Amino acid sequence: MTLETKRIVIATLGGLFLLSLVLVQWMETARKAEEAGIRAPHVSVPASSRECVECHAEENPGIVTHWEGSTHAEKGVGCVECHQAEIEEADSYLHHGAQIATVVTPRDCARCHDHEANEFALSHHSSAGNILASLDNFLAETVEGSRIDFNPHSPTPGKAVDMVNGMASAQSGCLQCHGAKVALESTDGGLITVDDLAPDTDGRPTNLDAFAKIMRDDKGKPIIFAGTWPNTGIGRLNLDGTRGSCAACHSRHDFSPRRARQPENCGKCHLGPDHPQKEIYEESKHGIAFRDLKDDMNLDSEEWILGIDYAAAPTCATCHMSGNIRNGGRVTHDPGERISWTNRPPVSRVMDTDINHAIVTETDPELRRPLIHDTANQKRDRMKDVCSHCHTDSYVNSFYDQYDNLVILYNEKFAKPGLAIMGALQANGLSTSTQFDEEIEWTWFYLWHHEGRRARHGASMMAPDYTHWHGMYEVAERFYMELVPQAREIVQHGRDTGMRAQAAAVEQVIDEILQRPEHIWFEEGAEEAAARIREEMERRYGGAQQN
Amino acid sequence: MSVASWFGDRLPISGRQFQELTNEPVPYHLKRWWFALGGTPAYLFIVQIITGILLAFYYESSPSTAYQSVEHITTSVSFGWYIRSVHKWAATLMIVAVILHQMRVFFTGAYRNPREINWVVGMCLLFCTLMTGFTGYSLVYEQLSFWGATVGANISDTIPFVGGFLKRMMLAGDAYNQSTLSRFFVLHAAILPVTIVFLIATHIAVIRMQGVTEFQFKDEDEGTARTFNFFPDHLYTELIIGLVLMVVLSALATILPATLGPEANPLQTPEVIKPEWFFYVAFRWLKLFTGTAAVLSMGFIVFVMFAWPWIDNWIRKHTRFQEASVWIGILGVVTIIGLTLWEAFARH
Repeated sequence: MTLETKRIVIATLGGLFLLSLVLVQWMETARKAEEAGIRAPHVSVPASSRECVECHAEENPGIVTHWEGSTHAEKGVGCVECHQAEIEEADSYLHHGAQIATVVTPRDCARCHDHEANEFALSHHSSAGNILASLDNFLAETVEGSRIDFNPHSPTPGKAVDMVNGMASAQSGCLQCHGAKVALESTDGGLITVDDLAPDTDGRPTNLDAFAKIMRDDKGKPIIFAGTWPNTGIGRLNLDGTRGSCAACHSRHDFSPRRARQPENCGKCHLGPDHPQKEIYEESKHGIAFRDLKDDMNLDSEEWILGIDYAAAPTCATCHMSGNIRNGGRVTHDPGERISWTNRPPVSRVMDTDINHAIVTETDPELRRPLIHDTANQKRDRMKDVCSHCHTDSYVNSFYDQYDNLVILYNEKFAKPGLAIMGALQANGLSTSTQFDEEIEWTWFYLWHHEGRRARHGASMMAPDYTHWHGMYEVAERFYMELVPQAREIVQHGRDTGMRAQAAAVEQVIDEILQRPEHIWFEEGAEEAAARIREEMERRYGGAQQN
Repeated sequence: MSVASWFGDRLPISGRQFQELTNEPVPYHLKRWWFALGGTPAYLFIVQIITGILLAFYYESSPSTAYQSVEHITTSVSFGWYIRSVHKWAATLMIVAVILHQMRVFFTGAYRNPREINWVVGMCLLFCTLMTGFTGYSLVYEQLSFWGATVGANISDTIPFVGGFLKRMMLAGDAYNQSTLSRFFVLHAAILPVTIVFLIATHIAVIRMQGVTEFQFKDEDEGTARTFNFFPDHLYTELIIGLVLMVVLSALATILPATLGPEANPLQTPEVIKPEWFFYVAFRWLKLFTGTAAVLSMGFIVFVMFAWPWIDNWIRKHTRFQEASVWIGILGVVTIIGLTLWEAFARH
């Protein structure tokens, strides 16, 4: 090669190298623009999902638009990656050449997010479907609705109604948060669920008779029973044996982390008269700060670590799930990891949990200790890691003292006595075993399930109004003005109907409770205390302003 | 006063002397591209130094922050992904270049008397390069690099007498701990590069003292000039090689940028542990044999590689197999490629 040729080659290669640097600069500028939200991220549709995207962009453009804005699209995760299924799976079908399933379960998500799926599987969230066997569901299925479909009795003008679906309240209400037991229609007119399919560890049905009975449409697509789908309840019982739905928090099809970090996301289910966590949060200083400082929350950051990416305010995710500087940025998909009391049952329990994350109920300290795998204090310490980012240790510890005191006050003054009275009525045959067929059962339910939870949740998240006026005040009013009088009325009725011994036994329980120092004011009066308060009011405000 | 005379007054070297020093006649066979690749590893080494310094501005060598710092470099720092990718690909190409250069020297017999010392220096350079690659990959602190380092340390533990000491030196303790990454970082960013600089200087000095091995090819005329000028002819050749490398590196960095696996989890052993590709051969060898036998046999092979100029000399003097080195070399290369491919495609 002559020197002249070499010079030309050098000049060409030099130009090529400079061009490559220009390309790098362009890529960097594009990346920064995407990060800053100035430009939408580049999306390339994976070859396996090209046909899905082309067709659904016409049929359901929203699905495609949402997906295009997702991190999945950015990383080349298309439709097939999540919806793919094996031919042996119960709900799989061939759709334009791709074997897919409509319902995406945690098993599907675990193909890439196995750590998160494993954590979620051990969480209380994943067992939310257990409501199917609970008192709440009895309310929806029997009290509010009917376990059997029934005749409409009279016409609905403009709508042909043959039968009334008695489960409608459960299906559109409870199960949308707690999760439905997904069912396929069967050729014999029944329904096929996970119980019938008995899936193996890979999620494939072992009961081939049930598999053979799955009803399919003319294209071979299994027909999902409309009462159980659509459903993104967090404890959904899926056909492959998994529990839950990742889409409960990570809404499809954009799976936005930004949305999952905001309180409104949890507020789909954690609100209302029985567990108003969303409203409690809004009343608290945390919620107030979030509303004011939302723009400083860096909600789009990749990791969203408290203390690195933001510090303006905490959301539900901050305290219960997200990473922080004290825990090395570790996110958990088991919110129970940081909760030290469960305020769900009538009497709050300490969250000492066993190896399966179930609460240890053993009361003997010696027997209890070896069963505990993760103590309530360990859980509380994890929460304190979050708190301590903005609060001193003494502040946090004193807060927990206040919270513990409120829970214990509720437990000891109202919950355990209420439970004792209700138990005595039942044990002595003065109430039926059917729930919600007597007024006192509604009274008791309101006391612990609505007002009692509001008080405890209010204290847990620093919402004074929910703790007091929506909480303990109503608990007390319900206890003294309804539960005790109704119980005494039942006792009297029992006495009048010849059940004297049983009535006496229940009365003894009520009397024993009301003779306790914390209750004695109710029947013996508290004139001294009231007089002292009146005097103090007069001293402070004068007689005219007493009210 | 001109700049040249200003320097001339202060430095005891004239322009003519400087020209003579730098413009040494270059043997004519270096006009062939294959023979001009000796400078490639050195060139890539310079790329590594520059990109390595830039990466070190952001890297944190603590187990709690190492992975996050690499992630930060890759996703947040301006041009971080590019610098990291160039560093990764230059490391790969440097190892390839050193191996190819060593093979060229081997098959052309350029290690023979009087160039045995430079062969040994070259072997030291090869092993330093491999060690730099090993420690560099460990710094990423992803699951595979963590377990790769752990397995590497456990292998060294099986060496008789000194194994335990070597392992403790490598890990800064009996097991991977808070100080291990710092040790790898110091090795990777200070001790090994300085050693490589020293070895390259020695390598070049010995070449300058002995001269490059000269070859006469069959297709060359007898009357062809035996040498040509370093400047500008050979410099242009090196520039072209350098620019080709930069274009290739840039293309690889943008088309196949460096990725990041899951963060190291000392409590969860991955189902499959594999080191970087350049250790596949050793890893497969260790799987073929067990424990100390595997380590000792590998130590023996390494010893043979270092001592090859003298072994080859003995074979040529005492046997009739004058070209034995070529056949042994072919056998060695086939074995290396075979074991590497085997490990690459094997599930376990």
